[in-house]
Amino acid sequence: MGPVYDRVKELLVDKFGVPADEISPEATFDDLDLDSLDLVEFALAAEEDLGVRISDEEAEELETLGDAVSLLEAKGAKVSA
Amino acid sequence: MLLDGKRLLITGVLTGASIAHAVARTAQEEGADIVLTGFGRAKAITERIAGRLPNPPDVLELDVTVPEHLDGVADELAQRWGRLDGFVHAIGFAPPSALGGGFLEAPWEDVATALHVSTYSFAAMGRAFAPLLAKTGGGSVVGLDFDASVAWPAYDWMGVAKAGLESTCRYLARDLGAQGTRVNLVAAGPLKTMAAKSIPGFADFDAAWARRAPLGWDVNDSEPVARTVCALLSDWMPAVTGEIVHADGGVHAMGADLR
Repeated sequence: MGPVYDRVKELLVDKFGVPADEISPEATFDDLDLDSLDLVEFALAAEEDLGVRISDEEAEELETLGDAVSLLEAKGAKVSA
Repeated sequence: MLLDGKRLLITGVLTGASIAHAVARTAQEEGADIVLTGFGRAKAITERIAGRLPNPPDVLELDVTVPEHLDGVADELAQRWGRLDGFVHAIGFAPPSALGGGFLEAPWEDVATALHVSTYSFAAMGRAFAPLLAKTGGGSVVGLDFDASVAWPAYDWMGVAKAGLESTCRYLARDLGAQGTRVNLVAAGPLKTMAAKSIPGFADFDAAWARRAPLGWDVNDSEPVARTVCALLSDWMPAVTGEIVHADGGVHAMGADLR
């Protein structure tokens, strides 16, 4: 996957303490032990980092990391150098 | 402005959809100086949300079931402001067994947690902050309620906790009246907050309000409730205490569906 995926992976490792080797596009937030509260925080962190807003409703629909990356990309997320 | 110079403690800001978030924003717009509180893991979210308010406030750690936390926040406010003009109690929690069906099966331990966090904490906050409120001539205390005079689908022990909150409001009004502190609740209509999402069967409330509210009701708009809270925090309801103000589109006053 692309730069947005890499950035999301960094975010999950640095801010949410997810072990890097558990992260894959197919991994669900459940697999990563991230609950609804984590998802809300993830959406806020992604907004600050990537400049696109994910609503609480959209965050709730997300199942896998790949879903999250696709949504962020579809919304035009930009990774700054 | 309505709350010019008021120094307020606002609990319960979790996400941008929280009722307390709308209260915090409206209070700032009306001239209040505010401090928020956050709890455990959720404090990180509260801090991010606080950063998006017009004037980002500090977020203090407060688990209302821990007496040392209450004393710590009171000490911090004493140093910071030396007084307090009011606080907002927007705190409720029930373990899953106590909500969404299985009313008769919920174990006492879970019910006790719901009552400790959602009901007793109102009195505990009143006790902890009474000395600071007294320094402003009394101040105003507001809690968030959901009409507990009837039974609701799914709401279960949270409904019992709110009934207790309504009674706690009257007793707190009795005991803090001598120092001039007003104590009131705002019974809100249903709003799509994190708290609401944890209630299976929330859609039933939504539908009931659509049929029964003479003024109509928008489950996505917290501002009508926030404005009511700010009115009670202001100097414009000086003889009102021990009261429950229904900011619910009028549903509490209707005996049958209108549409």
